[in-house]
Amino acid sequence: MKIDDNKHIDQQASLDANVEDQIARNIVELLDSRAQKLRDEHSLRLAEARSLAIGRLVSQEAQLAASHSIHRSGHTLQWFGGRFGHYFEQHRIFSTLLVVCVMLLTFFAVQQFSVNHQIENSDAFLLASDLPPEAYADKGFTAWLDTN
Amino acid sequence: MAGYQLRLKSLVFAFALFVSGVSVVKAADVSWAELNDAQRQVLNPLASEWDTLRPWQREKMLDIASDYPKMNADKQALVKKRLTNWSRMTPYERENARKRHQQFNALSADKKSELRKKWLEYQQLPESERAKLRAESPDTYTDADLN
Repeated sequence: MKIDDNKHIDQQASLDANVEDQIARNIVELLDSRAQKLRDEHSLRLAEARSLAIGRLVSQEAQLAASHSIHRSGHTLQWFGGRFGHYFEQHRIFSTLLVVCVMLLTFFAVQQFSVNHQIENSDAFLLASDLPPEAYADKGFTAWLDTN
Repeated sequence: MAGYQLRLKSLVFAFALFVSGVSVVKAADVSWAELNDAQRQVLNPLASEWDTLRPWQREKMLDIASDYPKMNADKQALVKKRLTNWSRMTPYERENARKRHQQFNALSADKKSELRKKWLEYQQLPESERAKLRAESPDTYTDADLN
């Protein structure tokens, strides 16, 4: 029973397609025959409209192609960049503060590292060193070490 | 919005300049009477000559006072003992000492021990011989390096 139903549906679909095709052909013939009878001014306006439509289509395709060529350079980065770029664009004050905070944190981190590094080489630690400052400053001692 | 960002950046920059400028001037111009108790205690060996020191010398000594609490008692005693001699050294001698101290810190424990023995040995030399060695050694730094 079901197989018969399916066959019936297929036949009906095929018939509908044939009818649509025939209608389309009739329309094309009708348009062609009427186009022969168009006046020159109407032909000219149609040609201008066609030219304008093609121009717009070409322009849109060019923009799309340019956009694709940029995206091709890195989809993931573009996706992230696009999203975060849009986010930062929407939150300018927040993003400015964030940049300033990052700069200040970097500055203080570098300064702290530098201070820690310098402490062991500071004058105070030199004075408290195993050797007295005179030993480090005495050019004669350095020269004597070189010869011994 | 761009104007707001520019004003904010200018404000941060001006603040940083102000803070750094104030701290430099403050450190360089302080007299003995203006030192706090902790600084006076550390720099006591220099009390009589503090006000005659130049601003950059005072600044260096204040750095020593600020690092002093970070040391143990033995090292603090060494600092106090050696401070007067240190303040009387020339800029050439101090700069040489800093350079040699950095080199000394980079040595291994064995090398440091060896150098300590060598220093004691060197001190046993007659003063005339040590003076001769000093006279024959060129200065490591030029005036430009010390400015």
